[in-house]
Amino acid sequence: MTGSQNSKGLEKADRYYKQYGERAKELKKEGRKIIGYMSALTPVEILTAAGVAPIRLKGFMDEAVTKGDAYMESIICPFVRSAFDAAVKGRFGFMDGMVLPHQCDSIDRTNEVWSSNLNLPYWHFLNVPHVTGGPSIEFMKEILRVFIGTLEKFLGTKITDTAIAQAIKAHNENRRLMRELYILRKQNPPLISGVEMMKVLVAAMSLPVDESSALIKSVTEEVKKRPAPADGNRKRIMIIGDQIDHIAIPEAIENAGAWLVVDDLSIGVKVYWPEVDETTDPLQGIAERYLRKLKIPTTFVGEGDTYEENLEARFGHLKQRIAEFKVDGAILFIYKYCDPYGFEVPAVKSYIESGGTPVLYLEDEYSTSTLARVKTRIEAFLEMIA
Amino acid sequence: MAEEKKRRAVATKTAAGIPKFVRGNLSATLRAKEEGKKVAKAFIHDGHDEIMRAMDIVPAWGESFSGVCAAKRDAEKFLQKAESDNFSRSLCTYATCHIGFEMAREEQGGAMPEGAPWGGMGRPDMILGNGQLLCDPRFKWPQALQHYLRDVPVFVTNMYYPPWDPNVDHHEQEKFYVKYCTEELHETVKFCEKVTGKKMDWDRLAAVVDLSDKTWDLFVDTYDLRKAIPTPMDTGDAMNTMVPITFNIGTQEAYDFYVELNNELKEKIAQGIGVADPEKYRLIWAAGLPSWFALNDFQYFNGKGAVFPVEVTYRDHEKIERLDLPKTNDPLERIAWRWVRYWTHWYDAARKIPGSTPKVARIIEYFEDYKCDGVVFHSAFSCRSWHAGIIHQAEVLRKVYKDIPILIMEGDIVDISSYNEADTHNRIDAFIETLEAYRNKQKN
Repeated sequence: MTGSQNSKGLEKADRYYKQYGERAKELKKEGRKIIGYMSALTPVEILTAAGVAPIRLKGFMDEAVTKGDAYMESIICPFVRSAFDAAVKGRFGFMDGMVLPHQCDSIDRTNEVWSSNLNLPYWHFLNVPHVTGGPSIEFMKEILRVFIGTLEKFLGTKITDTAIAQAIKAHNENRRLMRELYILRKQNPPLISGVEMMKVLVAAMSLPVDESSALIKSVTEEVKKRPAPADGNRKRIMIIGDQIDHIAIPEAIENAGAWLVVDDLSIGVKVYWPEVDETTDPLQGIAERYLRKLKIPTTFVGEGDTYEENLEARFGHLKQRIAEFKVDGAILFIYKYCDPYGFEVPAVKSYIESGGTPVLYLEDEYSTSTLARVKTRIEAFLEMIA
Repeated sequence: MAEEKKRRAVATKTAAGIPKFVRGNLSATLRAKEEGKKVAKAFIHDGHDEIMRAMDIVPAWGESFSGVCAAKRDAEKFLQKAESDNFSRSLCTYATCHIGFEMAREEQGGAMPEGAPWGGMGRPDMILGNGQLLCDPRFKWPQALQHYLRDVPVFVTNMYYPPWDPNVDHHEQEKFYVKYCTEELHETVKFCEKVTGKKMDWDRLAAVVDLSDKTWDLFVDTYDLRKAIPTPMDTGDAMNTMVPITFNIGTQEAYDFYVELNNELKEKIAQGIGVADPEKYRLIWAAGLPSWFALNDFQYFNGKGAVFPVEVTYRDHEKIERLDLPKTNDPLERIAWRWVRYWTHWYDAARKIPGSTPKVARIIEYFEDYKCDGVVFHSAFSCRSWHAGIIHQAEVLRKVYKDIPILIMEGDIVDISSYNEADTHNRIDAFIETLEAYRNKQKN
């Protein structure tokens, strides 16, 4: 074990956030295969069971897309472009392979752009369905088997059901630990700031599950022991979006005089709330979690006899979080060129507002260069709800 | 109403009959109620065409409606309407134009919005969508639309095909993909039966599917006539002649249209009549939906002696024999096999060219078969589904053909604010010069 394993939780999270992929580099030197992945839809349990070190790719909001421009159109999701740009610049040069799950057009339609330009020894596009009925569950299990087969071939080892079951337990434990940390944000003032939490969330997705769990545990212990922040008289904000993975956004909220107390992000609540059921066939539980429990707009939810019931099925969890975390206002932060999130804006905005919580809708690039206008809008929103 | 641009002249007489088809499809949705039929807001290439035709469900094509608004240069009011409720201008403008139209109608208590093109489109009784490997709006647009049409039920199917992976044998995966597609289509039928209160007539469905197969074959045979030099029809017309196979597949009218077009093209070939006189350059429209408000640009190309004997866009059909479809008594399984094989049948060709992809393999096949000199792509800013990956396709083509002339045009499908005619024509002029230089280089 190297020195990077011995520091305190928050300090370690800060370092892993700032030097994203540092631990993966170390593990690579130790002989571990490193598999990168995109999106909340990659079944990390399978990667863990395979014995590889998974790392979720992130973008870099404070870096302009340069090299990636030559290969990927500007009409693609700016987050995807940023992550791709980082990849082609070699920021994830430690990767032995990548998994690209079918989340949205920006990922699906650029699969060949990624695979041919990165040219990694292992590549897999996981064709996750958009719908969730019985046939889709069976189909999901089929594509998981194909995925497992390609990994086994690449690694030269068998991925057993027992190993998958153990990985499911480990990831469920990881999710439980992260939820415990979130609970500390229910207090007023929250015991951990939105900026600190962002660092923990980002650091956690760069680590193998056991190390991620140890990090979260140490952060929780540290935060519980330290004195609570003094300023409790601030508005409590929730942020909703997909992969927001840079502290610039929580900083914009908290520097404007609010607390970011909870999120519905694809690196946060979206992935840490739903667990995998421990089913006899472990793939059944995985298929059900990724199709039916993950609440992301690329999964079509058709439940409900009326439109209002359908809204509850799609967004009911948001109202729950708003109540649990005593949220005063929600910020819907959507990237430009995002059809899955963009088409939901009127529905989700009016749904949340119908419960009495004001909503600020922001559409922006994935770049710190455009944040000045975002900050102004946030400040105006906080003034409005004051 | 915005000033309507002078309609693009078509080279074939048959194509001149297309507005009648489009108007017919729109008016069918308006007549449906008095005829006791249900209207479904539907999408092209979703596998639902034959199901709807066999059940007398009248399709309301949102893409077509928005395309007509764009062609009449009168989409802005609907785009702005959608924008007023926070639909971003960067979203699919087919969707936002149509949603804006429906929003306006609902606000007016169901009265047709003023200036709705060609009488407008009927209010749907159901909304059918499809999560595919093609396009997110196919399942997000239905949800977004339901926000304004709350009493209208939505059903979303999923139809996938094995993704391209040069290292994975897709043949092994086809069966479970087809099984999944078939099951999803059966679920769609159940939904349609529930909404219409009618049972599916399976014999009728089988007959409709057979008619579709025949139309696929005739369509490809007809389009193959465009290999003639000079070509008797180019992409400018094809953006019209795609209407019957795209929006009316499974109907006798669609089949008859291609009989007529086939006859006309044969006559033109016999008489040596081409789109451009003289025909100097043959181009492939390699990807991208057109700017419906700027179809005249095809004539601009033609005026420079450049013709498009072939295009990838809307040529979403293949000779049935080539797809080698397994026999089945279930017409829905037939649709599923046809769907899956339509995509995968280029995979083997792609494997033979290192670094290639099925999309590029297809372009190469057309490029060779139609004796093309250059490649044109169109990148529409509001549509990721057909326009992401164009740079990559161009790069692979350059690896295969070295300094082949390639033009990537930029615009949108519906939103005219993305378009600058002078810039576009300047780029076309420069491209023509490149074609000439390339030709001279090839000679030397």
